[in-house]
Amino acid sequence: MNTRSPAQELDAFFGPRPAMPPPVQRLGIVVGGSLSKGLDVKLDPTTVIEGLAVGRYVVVHGQTGRRFFSIITDVQLDSLNPLIEKAPPDTSDPFLTRVYQGNLVFGRIHVAPMLMLDPPAGGREREPRPVKTIPAHFSPVYPATEEEVSLIFGREEEKDHFYIGEPLEMEGIHVALDLRRLVERSAGVFGKTGTGKTFLTRTLLAGLVRAEKLAVVLVFDMHNEYGWKSEDEKRHEVKGLRQIFHTRVAVFTLDEESSRRRGSKIDGVVRIGYDQLEPEDVDSLAGIMALSDVQVGALYFLRRKLGKQWVARLLDEEDPLEELEDALERGTIHGGTLGAIQRKLGLFRRFAFLQERATADPVREILDYLDRGINVVLEFGRYGSSLEAYLLVANYLTRRIHEHYVERTEAAQGRSESAPIPLVITIEEAHKFLAPEVARHTIFGTIARELRKYNVTLLIVDQRPSGIDPEVMSQIGTRITCLLDDEADIRAVFSGVSGAGALREVLARLDTRQQALIIGHAVPMPVVVKTRTYGTAEFYAEMGASSVLEESREGAQVVLKRGRLLLRGEEGEGEI
Amino acid sequence: MKNVNLRVGRVLRASTRGFTIGCAVMQPDIPAFGSFVRADGATPRSAIYGLIYDVSLEDDPFVRQFISANPPEEVVRDQRQNRQVPIEVSVLTVGCADGEHIYHCLPAQPPITLDWLYQCDEEEVRAFTARFDYFRLVLEAREAPADELLAASLRFAAAARPEEERARFLTEAGRELSRLLASDLVRLEGLLRRLRAVTEVV
Repeated sequence: MNTRSPAQELDAFFGPRPAMPPPVQRLGIVVGGSLSKGLDVKLDPTTVIEGLAVGRYVVVHGQTGRRFFSIITDVQLDSLNPLIEKAPPDTSDPFLTRVYQGNLVFGRIHVAPMLMLDPPAGGREREPRPVKTIPAHFSPVYPATEEEVSLIFGREEEKDHFYIGEPLEMEGIHVALDLRRLVERSAGVFGKTGTGKTFLTRTLLAGLVRAEKLAVVLVFDMHNEYGWKSEDEKRHEVKGLRQIFHTRVAVFTLDEESSRRRGSKIDGVVRIGYDQLEPEDVDSLAGIMALSDVQVGALYFLRRKLGKQWVARLLDEEDPLEELEDALERGTIHGGTLGAIQRKLGLFRRFAFLQERATADPVREILDYLDRGINVVLEFGRYGSSLEAYLLVANYLTRRIHEHYVERTEAAQGRSESAPIPLVITIEEAHKFLAPEVARHTIFGTIARELRKYNVTLLIVDQRPSGIDPEVMSQIGTRITCLLDDEADIRAVFSGVSGAGALREVLARLDTRQQALIIGHAVPMPVVVKTRTYGTAEFYAEMGASSVLEESREGAQVVLKRGRLLLRGEEGEGEI
Repeated sequence: MKNVNLRVGRVLRASTRGFTIGCAVMQPDIPAFGSFVRADGATPRSAIYGLIYDVSLEDDPFVRQFISANPPEEVVRDQRQNRQVPIEVSVLTVGCADGEHIYHCLPAQPPITLDWLYQCDEEEVRAFTARFDYFRLVLEAREAPADELLAASLRFAAAARPEEERARFLTEAGRELSRLLASDLVRLEGLLRRLRAVTEVV
């Protein structure tokens, strides 16, 4: 005989019912504030202050059923009577302690409302909207539920969205970056040394490479960390973009020997001829080579007088430089200036990638890849430790690639051809390129200011954002910031972001590892994330799975494309 | 406080803020300082609630004479049980009821002379002290020793509750006091120390 109740029968058939989630406990009530400065919330006596942290999300339930999605920006202690600070009660008495805590003395939090969620209509949640009003006094405040956080950030499955990390203490919720918006404007990854900037940047780049056709990236890889492989803090090897995405990433190198020693699979070697250098390329090094304004002016004069071989001739100690005799006599150029330029250009002799005459045009080779939608990582090998080499090459290539993009974009506007795939140029030590005194003259300053006018944007990686020209910083659309503790750097990160002042405390209190504050164009509201771990088997699988899927979708076309590449000798045999 | 409708005495004189009753005999726990009492209101089922804040025994000419005459025990007992002058019990009004709701405010009218005053039973005490709004009436009373009275009343209120609820009840009462007396920390601390003493007793 069956003795089970109907409920037990159902449980036996369907399995045990999921446990009801515990009711969400109120944190406190709104007691003041403003739209511009944020809201003050008095915590309920039962709320444990230590359970709240800056960067966590709370939701204020308004009178009209609206929910105000907010971020905690400060946690404070307060009391009804300030004298209690002078004469605190006997805290050894548990009764007195229980009575005082939460009443005479209590906790407050300061929250910045970021988004409004209107009440669901027709059983469906509405789109979050920017906050334009605030909830009334005494509106209750609750911790944000996982559903609410998912509603705002969890759009990973949507097109061109990329999971970048999880909100603090909300495991399983995936915060997704809108990659389309990320590449629409220049973006920045900031953080002091050792906070995981490189891993975060590599994760972002992996997201961009995976989202094929959305953008193509060109990475000036100063320390050889993006292309083939790298190591994490525990000296474990992690795969670079080339190993994960194979044919969708090409690796160029300035230092073939170094790349070979590291076992890096390379697709091209960059060699620049002296005859390919223009005064503008040397001008970009003016600061670091200590070239005075007079000397910089003289560079253009020398180029005009000496022709394409101007650098080679200045470096050639045997060359009498007859064309300059008149100018030296007339005083158009001073002998001392010429000598100083020659001495300073002597630096170029240390760079083996600079040759008297280059046999190929590295710009053309890189552009060939970029135009085909193949991402390029340029490894600097041993030259990564030379800031002069990094600045020279990055400026040299970027200026010419940018010119190409300007031409193609203008041609597309004239409808003679299609617009190029948006290009994202990744540079490290960005403050050297974008310092106030040079940003106006270098190509990077121009790109940052142009926004996406010519389909080129920057992804800048830097530990000293205060060194970047404020005008350029204000054009950085999305700022992904790991821990910064220098006040000037924190101020710089928030420049040009309205209402972001409240987030300073959040930024200053990030963990030293794997935590980042993301603000700006690519996220609906500022978010602190525990960043996704790069280099795990799951990460590779997810990146690779997508790649396999794409390949199977495109099937024969991809095989044909690879075949053509092989025939042209542009692809290694190992790739087939 | 288990007896229902236990009479304390009759109203001698009354005002809206308080009244005085007279009783002939003093029993071990009646009348007691800080206990909750109830008088009937002017309308049916209405009631006026108060707290006993003073019990005074006036002398009379016979007692004066006996004092110096060293009376025998029999006479002393007779004088105590058949008093010529009643024991006066002062009550501070702290609330009223209309038969359905209890209000922590002064009544529209005081009780009438010779009305009976009853000791509140435990259920009434629990119902009345479900909220703490009457604290303000006690704390602002000029005629009563407010802090002692409040502490004593809370001892009765706690005792009227199951043992497991008493500590929480007193903590909640303490929190309300800390809100009301936030501007006077010295007074608050004194009152809370009295309450803590109550927690050790009940």
